[in-house]
Amino acid sequence: MTKGERGKTSLTPWKKTRKPEAFPGVRSLNGKWGYLYVAPFIFMFVVFGLAPVLYSVYISFFHWDPLGSSNFVGLRNFNNLLHDSDFWLSIRNTFSIWGLSTFPQMFMAIGLANILRNTRLRGKSFFRTILLVPNITSVIAITIVFSQLFGRDFGIINDILSWAGLGHHIDFIEGVIPSHVQIATMITWRWIGYNTLIFLASMLAIPNELYESASVDGATKRQQFRFVTLPQLKNTITFVLIVGTIGGLQVFAEPQQLAADGGSSKQFLTLTLFLYNQAFVNNKYGYAAAIGIMITFIVLIISTVNFFISRKISNDGTR
Amino acid sequence: MAVASIAAAVIGLGAFSAPAKAADPVTITIWTFGDVIQRNLVAEYKALHPEVTLQIKKSDLDPLDGTNMVTACTSKTGPDIVATEVSYSGYWRSYPKCFTDLRTMKTTGEPTANIAAGLSASDIKANYLPWRWAQGVAFDGSVIGIPTDVGGLEVAYRTDLFKKAGLPTERGAVAKLWPTWDKFIATGQKYNAKLSAANKKAGMGFIDNAGTIYAAIMNQGTAKYYANDGTENGKLIYDTNPQVKLAWNTTIKATQAGIGTRIGQYTSDWNIGMNKGTFATILAPAWMMDYIKAQAPDTAGKWDIADMPGGGGNQGGTQLGIPSYAQNKQAAYDFLTWYLAPAQELKVFKTYGLFPAASVLYKDPALTGYTDPFFNNAPVGKIYAEGVQTLKPIFEGKLQRAIDTAIGAGLGRVAAKKMTAEKSWAQVLSDLKKVVNN
Amino acid sequence: MATKLKQPRWRRVPKRNYFLLGVIVFLSFFPFYWMFVVSSNTNAEISKSPPSLIPGGRFLVVAHKVMSAQGVYFSRALLNTFVVGISIALAQVVFSAIAGFAFAKLDFKGRKGLILFVVGTMMLPSQLGIIPLFMLVKNLHMIDSLFGLIVPALVTAFGVFWMRQIIDAQIPNELLEAASIDGASVPRIFFSIVLPIVRQSGFVLGLFAFLAAWNDYLWPTIVLQSPKHFTLQVALTQLKPMYGLDYGLQMGGAFLATAPLLILFLFVGKKLVTGVMDGAVKG
Repeated sequence: MTKGERGKTSLTPWKKTRKPEAFPGVRSLNGKWGYLYVAPFIFMFVVFGLAPVLYSVYISFFHWDPLGSSNFVGLRNFNNLLHDSDFWLSIRNTFSIWGLSTFPQMFMAIGLANILRNTRLRGKSFFRTILLVPNITSVIAITIVFSQLFGRDFGIINDILSWAGLGHHIDFIEGVIPSHVQIATMITWRWIGYNTLIFLASMLAIPNELYESASVDGATKRQQFRFVTLPQLKNTITFVLIVGTIGGLQVFAEPQQLAADGGSSKQFLTLTLFLYNQAFVNNKYGYAAAIGIMITFIVLIISTVNFFISRKISNDGTR
Repeated sequence: MAVASIAAAVIGLGAFSAPAKAADPVTITIWTFGDVIQRNLVAEYKALHPEVTLQIKKSDLDPLDGTNMVTACTSKTGPDIVATEVSYSGYWRSYPKCFTDLRTMKTTGEPTANIAAGLSASDIKANYLPWRWAQGVAFDGSVIGIPTDVGGLEVAYRTDLFKKAGLPTERGAVAKLWPTWDKFIATGQKYNAKLSAANKKAGMGFIDNAGTIYAAIMNQGTAKYYANDGTENGKLIYDTNPQVKLAWNTTIKATQAGIGTRIGQYTSDWNIGMNKGTFATILAPAWMMDYIKAQAPDTAGKWDIADMPGGGGNQGGTQLGIPSYAQNKQAAYDFLTWYLAPAQELKVFKTYGLFPAASVLYKDPALTGYTDPFFNNAPVGKIYAEGVQTLKPIFEGKLQRAIDTAIGAGLGRVAAKKMTAEKSWAQVLSDLKKVVNN
Repeated sequence: MATKLKQPRWRRVPKRNYFLLGVIVFLSFFPFYWMFVVSSNTNAEISKSPPSLIPGGRFLVVAHKVMSAQGVYFSRALLNTFVVGISIALAQVVFSAIAGFAFAKLDFKGRKGLILFVVGTMMLPSQLGIIPLFMLVKNLHMIDSLFGLIVPALVTAFGVFWMRQIIDAQIPNELLEAASIDGASVPRIFFSIVLPIVRQSGFVLGLFAFLAAWNDYLWPTIVLQSPKHFTLQVALTQLKPMYGLDYGLQMGGAFLATAPLLILFLFVGKKLVTGVMDGAVKG
């Protein structure tokens, strides 16, 4: 499906608090047109987006071998799943990769944006454009390149690390944390430019008066960054977090390319890889469907939590 | 003039006693992976049968023999020919309903290639290695695939590195070093002992990956994880089969003796290691020789091939079969029988190094006399032919591949020093319970 | 009335920041460069350690191998990928704009519940519905055709949500009120007023849809059967040798498949940047 590797995103952070009851549109327009206009989308969505998923939900209550028999098992798939150590392992892996790929990236993106914000920077436009270049590559090709670079005995990264005295023959495949670092590096490489641009845009929108008054009060550049820039970025940070979460919890292509079975210690087994293997390797479609539903719940919960936190911050922050 | 053309027409008409079907254009769709279907043979067949178009779709192995074939079978679509790799043979043998029983097909006949008309799979069975043939036979006896090649397994070793370590280099003497796996491990330890401290630190070792020993030993037995009880799933015996324990224990012993460099096969580190002499031996199937030639051309002449401990082994191999829902079964069967005929399999061996499963060739001097200068002029044809004939048919059941994966992961954990051998085996057993149940 | 605010006095950018940016540029490009290096060197060169960092002379040879490999109809695949990418991009922009406009500006019953529901489903993992989707596409006789790629992707929940936000942010209600008072019908308003304003953002949406379609490999590998119908990513899988990887060949293929995007990027890169940054602030 053309959802892209981390899902397509809406680029609008929830900056303003919306009163949920207000209708933001135009009352005088004939609302009946609405039905016609959303019809194509709803139709396509129901047929190609919703129906397959509903069918999968249906089969999560079955033990279904596509070439064999299927029998109704009720909640057994879910019960087995909660008792399956692989499920919890995959949660650990997914969150570990998510943590390693989201937070360092965010710090770096904010730092980078801060550098790019300077109006006296030469080659502004060039730098900004370069930032998006990693985003246009295919995941498979990049995984091949990075797996070479991360080779245990002969990879360039290990060469650099041992030259710098930081480590020797680190196994970025077998080691649990190193393997997550490898994946996180690929994800960070791909998305940091994109997120930098988002932060940059938000920074550029910060009214100059705030910096003016801060500097009048005698604040140093660093203090201005801490007390003016960062607070104004709160909404953007939460937005980037939410989007990063939805995508990060569904990391699939990179781990699958590196170790399709998840690795000997199941270090690469993310939630979606776990799902995929149960469905397409073990042919346990019912079980896989159950995993899919659990993934959705997890993403839903985390996103809701993020949303409410962001709402609270916005509420506190708006004047 | 007119008489001549009429005569020619009459003679021509007489020659076309075969069904007119042979001249109608037909497209055979083939799902395969890698170079199973050789390009030059495709061209050759096209010259023989201009009306036939071979449409080949290559995929990665797992999506092909897993996802795509499953989807095809459930949705009653699919290609005319599919290539099933040996690691999936256990799975598909449980689902003969997805394949055409090739015993029910009859060849149209290919005079130019010495293929008679009316041959079914049963008629050509004798041309092939029995245990490779058996991998294409479903639990109910139907023939769902005919073998293309046989991986074979022998030890490819570096003569220059052996010399440095004070080991013999002539292949007969080398084979005598290791009639058993224990002696193989001992030789490895001897080799490692001779390495300089610097080389040891750089990660050099005797064999590329000790884990490869497991598969070799498993293939030397008479049973793997299943016994054929006539049902579609087979009876699980992985926990009682002594061959499993033997293979596991020997591999663990080799791992703990440190004779492997723990480099993963087919990684870029492995390619580099080949070039640098990081490891001195590889358990190499016949087709890997070409791989070594391509990846490490500068090591030409420094390799040789010796017999493996315990006789032969196997790694890899493919069966070609015709799915049940194929559109052009007859044309597909004709192509298949031509492509898999001993003459063609010999051609494939010569151009690509895939060792033929057609055992009639093993007496053919064209095969037995074949030597490879890259491998020090070793008579590779003879060596592999002898090796593959020592193996016996093994029944493989539905979850064979999944079980192999779980055990492989267990061995990997021990090699990476993540777990002790006992704990790792315990996890293997619990993982297998999940795979096998539900 | 609007007095020009005094701009903060920016310090001169310290050299170390340029250095840092230089590192970023280098890191962004290095994988591409590496693809080129690997594909232009012989296997022996690739397998050296330390690795050769300089391109060799074999690129044209490898490129030729890629383009003439069995089952790889490179220019055909390139064309197919373009067709699929552009179709999907256009369709998504149009359908998303229409639905997004409705959600943003038109009042109809069930509007709120519907958009919430749609947003919620964005969280479903895409791998979940592949098999049923395949069966559906097969019943519609779209297997092994580019339609099998295009039709399921004509519009996405993300696209609709994105256009909704954009329209909400960029089109003031008063504008539409005024037009409506002047007697313009809803379709008229949509085509004459809304579309022109959101053209830029729509373009960005289309671009991202195009990129996603270009790089998609899972679904196309399942749906497409004949090599002549392959998109680039599927065609690239035809380069895989039987066991293992052929680094030179596959990197060559990857490079050739990315190069058109790089060229495209030269032209539209700036627009993409503007779109990303606009979307981040407005609304």
